[in-house]
Amino acid sequence: MAPDRETAARNAGRSRSARLAARLAHVDRRLIFVVVGLAVALPLIFPLNLPIQSSREARAYFDALEGLEAGDEIIFSFDYEPDTMAELDPMSMATLRHAFRRGIQVVALTNYAGGAGIAERVLSEVAAEYDRTYGVDYVFLGYNPDYSATMLRMGESIQRTFPTDHYRTPTDELPLLQEVDRYAEIELLVTVTASALAEYWIIWAGGKYGQRIIAGNTAIQAVLIYPYFQAGQLDGFLGGLKGAAEYERMIEVDGAGVRGMDAQSSAHVLIVLFILLGNIGYFLQRRAERAEGSQ
Amino acid sequence: MSRARLLILLMALGACLGANSLGSRAGAEAAAADDDSAAVAAASAETTPSGWIYPERWPTAIATLLFGALILGFIARARRGQELYIRRIAGLEAVDEAVGRATEMGRPILYSPGLDPMEEVATVASVNILGQVARRAGEYETRLIMPNRDPIVMTVAQEVIRESYAAVGRPDLYDANDIYYTTQSQFGYAAAVCGTMMRERPATNFFIGHFYAESLILAETGNATGAIQIAGTDSDSQLPFFITACDYTLIGEELYAGSVYLSREPLLLGALKGQDIAKAFILALLLGGTILKLFGIDIGTWLRE
Amino acid sequence: MKRTGPVIFGFIVGMLMLIQHFTPQPWIADRYNNVLDWKQVVFGVTLILGVISLFFYHWKKVEQRQAGWPYSLLTLAGLVFMILVALIFTPERGPYPWMFDHVQAPMQATMFALLAFYVASASYRAFRARSFHAALLLIAGVLVMLGRVPIGELLGLHHLSSWILDYPNMAAKRGVMIGVGLGMTATAIKIILGIERTYLGKGA
Repeated sequence: MAPDRETAARNAGRSRSARLAARLAHVDRRLIFVVVGLAVALPLIFPLNLPIQSSREARAYFDALEGLEAGDEIIFSFDYEPDTMAELDPMSMATLRHAFRRGIQVVALTNYAGGAGIAERVLSEVAAEYDRTYGVDYVFLGYNPDYSATMLRMGESIQRTFPTDHYRTPTDELPLLQEVDRYAEIELLVTVTASALAEYWIIWAGGKYGQRIIAGNTAIQAVLIYPYFQAGQLDGFLGGLKGAAEYERMIEVDGAGVRGMDAQSSAHVLIVLFILLGNIGYFLQRRAERAEGSQ
Repeated sequence: MSRARLLILLMALGACLGANSLGSRAGAEAAAADDDSAAVAAASAETTPSGWIYPERWPTAIATLLFGALILGFIARARRGQELYIRRIAGLEAVDEAVGRATEMGRPILYSPGLDPMEEVATVASVNILGQVARRAGEYETRLIMPNRDPIVMTVAQEVIRESYAAVGRPDLYDANDIYYTTQSQFGYAAAVCGTMMRERPATNFFIGHFYAESLILAETGNATGAIQIAGTDSDSQLPFFITACDYTLIGEELYAGSVYLSREPLLLGALKGQDIAKAFILALLLGGTILKLFGIDIGTWLRE
Repeated sequence: MKRTGPVIFGFIVGMLMLIQHFTPQPWIADRYNNVLDWKQVVFGVTLILGVISLFFYHWKKVEQRQAGWPYSLLTLAGLVFMILVALIFTPERGPYPWMFDHVQAPMQATMFALLAFYVASASYRAFRARSFHAALLLIAGVLVMLGRVPIGELLGLHHLSSWILDYPNMAAKRGVMIGVGLGMTATAIKIILGIERTYLGKGA
């Protein structure tokens, strides 16, 4: 039986409140998709400029970089691909802006084949803003297959792990890598990732080699990272686009993170409203069924 | 040239290239070492700790040995024929029902082993469960489709399924094209699996392994096709999505217990019991430490000192 | 030997990797580095294995005109095109980065963006207060969802949301993590000792 006739047959003997309850409890998912789309798009066009407060973990992330001095070196791992670019690019760009502004030198790499294109774009864009020189102020080592071997090997020798950089220049010819060759010589490791790679960095680079680590994660992975931050195994982290927005405010350079906050707020409120709607429909339906049953 | 020979040739070529690279690197290092061996030796002596064990890793070493001994002890008990109890796990009890449903509807089963490589424990556990699911699929003559994100997992899965079908006397059911590699890209894999679900309309979906953000896309698409879904993951950030959208979910360690539960092999059962005893010991430590802390005694600091 | 050889090899390498974590002896560290070198080599070769498998899977579909074969043809065309472009122009310049930035990146981002819609429909469908526990989960979920965005901070839910994440959520998460950690260790010990042989393709 076609859905419309089936629904009509089902509703034929029902009261008005029962039909309303059924409608509230079974909203077509396509309608939900359209409303969510509008809830995200409209605040991007008509910004609300909601205030953004800093969280403890974002403040710790900021402080970890702020505590470094000019000439200190960090490892920056672009551990994400284009799918999570929208959420993680703002963190990467803000972190590099913070680092370059303070004169911190960056050794960048990626553990994802798709991350190389992202890393090249972000590094060249931000380096140009602060007039930083490749090979001296920053290097991009590129992609190495097998992240576990890469993370472990870098504790022994970065040059041995990456004999050439992404542009096929021998790493022993890069001025920056003359000064640092393993974790012991690096002040801080930054990983921006959408996967569990932050955990692996903590376990291998942090647990085995004692490397200080801060992480930027998607909101869903950030929940995974909380125990490590609480236990002191992670010095700070950014959780999702909100974390990026907080960090952008701290470095006083607003970017895509801040711009996305209004849209995220409205989407969350909408989801909560849908949940409430579904529950109202559910309870009304139960009451109507009980009433019909007693009749 | 057959595909198998081509693969062997490529692997040999890769091994030779790797060995050559290692050899040339070793040669370069030897040359560099000849130039400043004294300086290198001095630096090395300063940074490398002496002795046979890192002092700060003693507790981990002892805990590892104890845990290993516990596992082996219970395995020995299981070998002697002692009955070991394992509680009911709803998701695993439903495997037979799920495979049977696919058989009745004349539709295939879809099995996703997660996104992690073969070296990850969740994938090993998933492939264990796959062996059991493949046996049942072979017994019921139901087609099993398995898209993979990792080529090594695909290769192992092909072997596991082939052997499972052979074990139930149906080697003719095996079709290597049903166990295929899609892409290494996370969402490319999700798109491929969703496409398979929409085209093939499997009656039963298994999502067993380590998943990331694509878990909800997979589970929701499977839900939309009306399939019965059994999920199992040790990725606690994805558990809520599977619990929401799937009929049964194996949570955390239940995934590792899966193959033990389905096969009831004594050796594996013994290892599981050893694990449980270790967990009980840790719980006792946590509880004891918390109580002591309430009385102002910090046992952690004392142990470190 | 076909079955025993890999088990023995796995035992030797597994014990080596385990022991090297605890001992500072240089000769073990050197063997450890050798293993990591070989690991990277093998991983690189397996990527080739995957590409070959992908090629033959879709080639067969095109050859036999199976259902959906035009999409397989598109897949093969894309695969060959990107390989040729990378070989001719290198991956750093020309069509390759353009295709990555304007085709692959938007497609991947689109797939991830689907999550927003799926989360909304899944939450609407599944978050029903059918029982006391379900109601508790619902309330906690709503508080955390609102508390993690600026509008929740305006409503004063930020601290409550942080408390839920720092205490009840953390406790549950740690419990699962401890269990998972023990399970992983036990499975690793079983693989090293040859009790677990699934990686050999043993069916049961």
